[in-house]
Amino acid sequence: MTSRGHTWSRWYDGATISTNALAAERDSIGRVTVVRASTAPVEIDEPTREEDVTPEQPWIVIVWNDPINLMTYVVYVFQKLFGYSREKATSLMLDVHHKGRAVVSNGTREKAELDVFRLHEHGLWATLQRDT
Amino acid sequence: MYRLDVPDTERELLRRLLPQLRAVLTDEAAADERARRLFPPAYTDDEAADAEYQRLMREDLVASHLAALETVETSLDATELSEEQLVAWMSAVNSVRLVLGTLLDVSEELDIGRLPDATPDIESYALYAYLSNLLGDMVDALNP
Repeated sequence: MTSRGHTWSRWYDGATISTNALAAERDSIGRVTVVRASTAPVEIDEPTREEDVTPEQPWIVIVWNDPINLMTYVVYVFQKLFGYSREKATSLMLDVHHKGRAVVSNGTREKAELDVFRLHEHGLWATLQRDT
Repeated sequence: MYRLDVPDTERELLRRLLPQLRAVLTDEAAADERARRLFPPAYTDDEAADAEYQRLMREDLVASHLAALETVETSLDATELSEEQLVAWMSAVNSVRLVLGTLLDVSEELDIGRLPDATPDIESYALYAYLSNLLGDMVDALNP
């Protein structure tokens, strides 16, 4: 995962780019602000740990690290799709980031395929496999 | 509701990016690396299983991305967005980032502010950085 750490204010106009702006400070105003808060993601039970996978739920869903997705975005996706707390979602994201992968859910093959699909919808790289 | 403080120049930029994203999503001949990042494998240990998965799910995934694209196109000049609209914006912007980042082969440590001005494709890196910042703003608003 990555963060958007650096600051810059140059934008691409399709023709020319102001080369001086490469080191410019980004303006401090964010592009998006909340006017009226929406409902926060509903938190549910903690996800099953790898060692809790049962024969009835033999498929695991793995999210793989990639250099493009923002860390904050990945945390948001885990909260949104699986109802994890921010703490658990952050922990999973950091596992992906530092260990290269993390198991984010498990279940029947059908459920695992659906989870993979939803993760792909959000631009994450996810795969499913039988737990061994 | 979310207020969108995006200058007209940037909205114009997005307006020109969206058809390019649509082309990547819908051009079956472009089964190249751009599309591959948006449609990754579901199975890495079973080619037949993945072929079947793609056969069943690829169209739905394309439809999902196209729906987000359409929402952005119809709300491109809006000053306020519903949560649903903002999620669509986030999806489309991130999809462009994924394609662009793959083409540029960006690394996690990439610091665009440190790239020399003479770097080839410097405009593309600048665009990628802009979209990253915009995406970050959207995530911060949706998940404060």
